[in-house]
Amino acid sequence: MKTIPSLSLKNSPIPIAIMQVGGQIVATSDALFSFFEYSSNQTITDITDLFGEVSEAFNKGIRTNEEFSEDIKVLSNTGELRWLKANVYPLSKKEKLFHISFYDFSQKIEYDLARQANNIAKVGSWTVDLVNNEVHWSSETRAIHELPAEYMPDLEKGINFYKEGESRECIIEAISECIASGKPFDLELIIITGKSNEKWVRAMGSAEQVNGKVLSLSGVFQDIDQAKRQRLNYEVLSDRLRVAINSANVGVWDFDLINKNLFWDEKMYDLYGISKSDFKGVYEAWESTIHPEDKERAGNEVDLAIKGEKKFDTEFRIVKKDGEIAFIHAEAEVFCNKEGKPYRLIGANTDVTRSKRRDQRLTQLLNVTEEQNQRLLDFTNIVSHNLRSNSSNISMLSGMLDADLPLEKQKQFIEMIRTSAERLDETIVQLNDVVKIQATSKYDMDRMPLRPMIEKVIESINGLVLETSPLLDIDIDDSIKVLGFKPFLNSVFLNLFTNAIKYREPSRQLKIEIRAKVLNDNTIISFTDNGIGINLEKNRSKIFGIYKTFHSNKDAKGVGLFITKNHMEAMGGKIEVQSTLGAGTTFNLCFNNSI
Amino acid sequence: MSANEMFLVDDDLFFRVASDVLIKRGIPELDIVQFENGLEAYQALVERVENLESLPKLLFLDLNMPIMSGWEFLEELKGVSSTICEQIQIYIVSSSIAPEDVNLFETYDFVNGYISKPLNLQDLEKVNETLSLIGDV
Repeated sequence: MKTIPSLSLKNSPIPIAIMQVGGQIVATSDALFSFFEYSSNQTITDITDLFGEVSEAFNKGIRTNEEFSEDIKVLSNTGELRWLKANVYPLSKKEKLFHISFYDFSQKIEYDLARQANNIAKVGSWTVDLVNNEVHWSSETRAIHELPAEYMPDLEKGINFYKEGESRECIIEAISECIASGKPFDLELIIITGKSNEKWVRAMGSAEQVNGKVLSLSGVFQDIDQAKRQRLNYEVLSDRLRVAINSANVGVWDFDLINKNLFWDEKMYDLYGISKSDFKGVYEAWESTIHPEDKERAGNEVDLAIKGEKKFDTEFRIVKKDGEIAFIHAEAEVFCNKEGKPYRLIGANTDVTRSKRRDQRLTQLLNVTEEQNQRLLDFTNIVSHNLRSNSSNISMLSGMLDADLPLEKQKQFIEMIRTSAERLDETIVQLNDVVKIQATSKYDMDRMPLRPMIEKVIESINGLVLETSPLLDIDIDDSIKVLGFKPFLNSVFLNLFTNAIKYREPSRQLKIEIRAKVLNDNTIISFTDNGIGINLEKNRSKIFGIYKTFHSNKDAKGVGLFITKNHMEAMGGKIEVQSTLGAGTTFNLCFNNSI
Repeated sequence: MSANEMFLVDDDLFFRVASDVLIKRGIPELDIVQFENGLEAYQALVERVENLESLPKLLFLDLNMPIMSGWEFLEELKGVSSTICEQIQIYIVSSSIAPEDVNLFETYDFVNGYISKPLNLQDLEKVNETLSLIGDV
């Protein structure tokens, strides 16, 4: 049965509202108006006028008819968030009236939030009062220094926590300058804490000036030890990685399979010989640089790698902008998400052109060596034939030179023994020639004009030439030279001429045609006759073998082309043959002028 | 059964001349027919194959010869007639002592032996023994 204490209520400095159970406001304090930013001529009739829709918790509190308090968020007229506490208690149970007083605790909330944030971020603060020479540290600043709460700092002590050397010099300089000119600082330095731990901190400071005079400094102090160390570690690692990648000449690429974005590092552009601006950063651009013959295979290998069927580890050729071909060795790793779906492909490319070319050169050398070995094998086998056939003849013939043999036969046998002995000697001279070729070095070679050399060879076989009167068609530019060893060159041409004469077709006049041209580093000479020719289908593999002859010609000894080929190869050149049985033969000599 | 003949196939004139004298001493009952290469000998055999009586008893075959070598001759023979192979005692007589040649000869089962030059009377005595064995049968 109480009346509403309206007068005292109205004058209360506290914002108070009297509310009925349904939400109607039946009385207010004047302070309520200003608290909720109403002007005094406005009216407040319902609780929703104060803080909009009431919460379920508030309604529940009302229904219990007991004292309670509730935190309420409202927006101010300027749009700022306000935290209000509403303290509610029932005035009269019968009339169901409630006394609600309000209290704004926004600032406290902000303070708490800031404190929480500071704790999490390990941020402390400090001030230096230069007038009274007082230093104040926040509790977090002390905590970062690993010092007890009662620790009393001063400027010198503070500075001495910085590690001797670079860190301390830096902070002294920064603070001095801040005091002198008001210049703020923001540094990452090392301190030695009260527990002797080394720690990376970020020290920020600025000056407060009055009439151009610095009165105090204040700033923020942050523990960045973990982050800094991680960053430093990362830098060390990435430096190492960079050095490794640079020294290995490795290009790295990163292919985003979802968005089809291809990233190349600088080295990749180097390797592919294109500039960054030419490249669209898409897979197709990579594909377009690959050699046409390798494109399909390389593309397939990428697909297989993405599907996880085969590791990407392959080699392909690329065609650079200037048309140069390079060999690339490529390896890549596929990255998959939790569902096992690939989303990223990272790979490394190396230019293996040099080692590839070295391999090719080695294979080439190996082939030449194998060929030479094969010929040496022929050599030993067939040498035994020529040596043994003559020596065995001598042995047989001399063994039968006895009284039983008719005088006529004896004379014949002695003549044969003499001839066999000569042939034996001739064979040994030829073998000596072969041995000499193997022992000749490339350093003895000279560049010699071709035409005079050929003319000299023809002169030296004047007798043969006069006898057979061949038609000589020699068209060689005077400027053409070959790099070779003079005795070998003479021997090569002498052998070709005598072969052409020896194996001429008797029914027609012998014609010899010689042409020469220079192509890149090579001088190529063709030597063509219209002789009886060689059946190459049958004899290609043994034409340059020792003691292989293909004609019934009695003069054929089969050593000439073997020696010719060896002479050519000893000079770094090549000899090849084309022939049609009955029509003639062409020998192509290729001299390498760049050895 | 066969003619009292032997074929001497070798491109080396000196060897043929020397062998001619030697064979006449070692196996005097045989007449020697000389051929300069495999092809000449092969053609002569093909001509005589119609009449087995006319085939030679013995054939000495050189390996390194122009036109048709001893190996090519054996290949031709293998393909043509087993009668010839069975009828004739074939010996390779070569200056080669290369292992490939000696090994290759064993792949021709109708070749009776490999004689390394120089040919001598001991070789001919052995050949004569096998000839008379067959003659007895």
